[in-house]
Amino acid sequence: MDTLPELSKSGLEWGAEGAFAASVLIPALLASQNPDGGWGFRANLQSRIEPTAWAFLALREYSTEPGAESASQRAIDFIRDAQLPNGSWPVATPSRQPAPGTDHAAAEENGAWVTALGCWALLIAGNSRDPLKRGLEWLCNDRPGESGFWWRLRRTIAGNSNVKQSDSYFGWSWTPGTASWVEPTSHALIALRSAPRDILPATAAERIKLAEAMLYDRMCIGGGWNCGNPMVYGVPGEPLVGPTVWALIALRADSQRSQNQLSLDWLERTFGEMGSPESMTLAHIGLKLNKRDGQNQPALIRKSLENRVQDLSAPDLAWAALALASKITWVPTQH
Amino acid sequence: MPRPEPALTPSFKRPPSRVVIRKAQSYGADLSGIIFEALQIFGLPVRGKSVFLKPNLVGPDHRRIINTHPAVIAGTREAFLRLGAAQVVIGDGPAVERDFQGILESMQFAQFGRDLIANLVDLNTDDVCKVILHTRASRLHELYLPNSLQRADFVVSLPKLKTHHWAGASLSLKNMFGVVPGSCYGWPKNILHWAGIDKAILDLNAAIRPDFAIVDGIVGMEGNGPIQGQPKACGVLIIGDDPVAVDATAARVMELRPEKIKHIEAAGTLLGHLHADKIEQLGESIDSSKTDFAVIDQFKELKAAINGS
Repeated sequence: MDTLPELSKSGLEWGAEGAFAASVLIPALLASQNPDGGWGFRANLQSRIEPTAWAFLALREYSTEPGAESASQRAIDFIRDAQLPNGSWPVATPSRQPAPGTDHAAAEENGAWVTALGCWALLIAGNSRDPLKRGLEWLCNDRPGESGFWWRLRRTIAGNSNVKQSDSYFGWSWTPGTASWVEPTSHALIALRSAPRDILPATAAERIKLAEAMLYDRMCIGGGWNCGNPMVYGVPGEPLVGPTVWALIALRADSQRSQNQLSLDWLERTFGEMGSPESMTLAHIGLKLNKRDGQNQPALIRKSLENRVQDLSAPDLAWAALALASKITWVPTQH
Repeated sequence: MPRPEPALTPSFKRPPSRVVIRKAQSYGADLSGIIFEALQIFGLPVRGKSVFLKPNLVGPDHRRIINTHPAVIAGTREAFLRLGAAQVVIGDGPAVERDFQGILESMQFAQFGRDLIANLVDLNTDDVCKVILHTRASRLHELYLPNSLQRADFVVSLPKLKTHHWAGASLSLKNMFGVVPGSCYGWPKNILHWAGIDKAILDLNAAIRPDFAIVDGIVGMEGNGPIQGQPKACGVLIIGDDPVAVDATAARVMELRPEKIKHIEAAGTLLGHLHADKIEQLGESIDSSKTDFAVIDQFKELKAAINGS
């Protein structure tokens, strides 16, 4: 299954690594789509918004491949159908056909961090103005726990010397009402900074400003990001690939800023030490978007994937395909 | 479907618990044999059953000082298979890093056999079902929990012997934080911290009710654990059928006062035995196993001479 074909099935030239993605990764992704149009994290698992969003973005990038167009259409239908009445998306989706007497709202009253991914997918899909607008409104109304008056007052009085971060800034939490972290903040920023201005809520500009400041405040000392703790009890935290890449994408409007470049330096240095496909593909995505990718990286990624495709989760398959794609239309343009 | 939740029994109505301490000076020892011999003492009802091992896999661990050592995981799996378990699945949901394969590679898991990796589940991305938390100690009323855990007949908490900069100690009760799926609650699982760490530990353990615990104390971690602390050789495995009693014993081995560790103290009222007079110590004595684990300043009150209380 993992042998390298000359050309993809569509007959289009992708380059060696792109052809591998088109002929091996995309078919593996297509084979694991659930009948409801969504993806679980692995084949035959419950459809969820996160893996479906990544799979959708990957299939759109390879839409000329056989089956990709119709599968991506079913994926975006699944995402649209899973949106909750309040505009958010749930972390675990109820079945598409709710049991008698129940509805989506009853099964899951409020969504969470994956709402940003739902918005991202709708941005790429187009023709989704109303659901996108409702998703963005939910994002702008979703304030993390530390933005509340009483929390801030308590923190001002009691202080917290355990962690080193500014309490003036906040972004988005994983779960509504809890603290801001790097990844959900990055995903929300990507959606908000890319959405048409005329559907952005009035509070969006202020939220974007605070969230960008929060990300820079939470950067690790030598560049890069971890989940959001750059210093605990005086000990510097180590950066991680995933949060670093999402933060760099969210902040790419300022790609020449010294913090961005320092983080790209870290990502570039670290690439050679990576062994797992997930970290390699995400790192390559971050470097490629900033034109810092090395020529041999796609070949190294393909090598890391050989004979392991069956072990990859749906997001891993999607990220690998996106990393090896010749174009980057899946990252929306920022304004 | 959620695991059937046994009724909560106040500790004063419970029979004494048993905890075995076994010496194991290195990860090269015959851990499967040591653990198998210890498990036989308990007469566990695992023949033909599915056993779920929950190690502590926090994040990347190139030095093998953060996570439960793969040799202990492999030895425990082999021991349960020798006891007749039909299936032994291993699963965790790392708290700070979602690259599960990357974590396994950092620990050189592959050295311990393809079979071990084939039976590993990333709980962060497993299927989930919602579980009601009846104890309501924290603000959490319900949580999504992974189906691979929910399906198991017998759950074993398999932590590393560590201090913890928020909870005092990270042992078998705190280890259960790892089952909460990151795909739902993120990296880290901040909802648990926000709800109150100690109370969330109680709620989670009351809902899951791990049946057994084995603490990897061959090399533990002291100071600013669970990630940035220093390795501390201790040379023991602490094994028992009451996770509260196992944690209380482990704390005493670390020269910490378990009744001062809030979540262990709270669990001692509902989930198991905290007090030494209700724990039958087998194998090595606590006194002969004691190792002085340093703690950060915020937890100095945990340090005191252990006088059997």
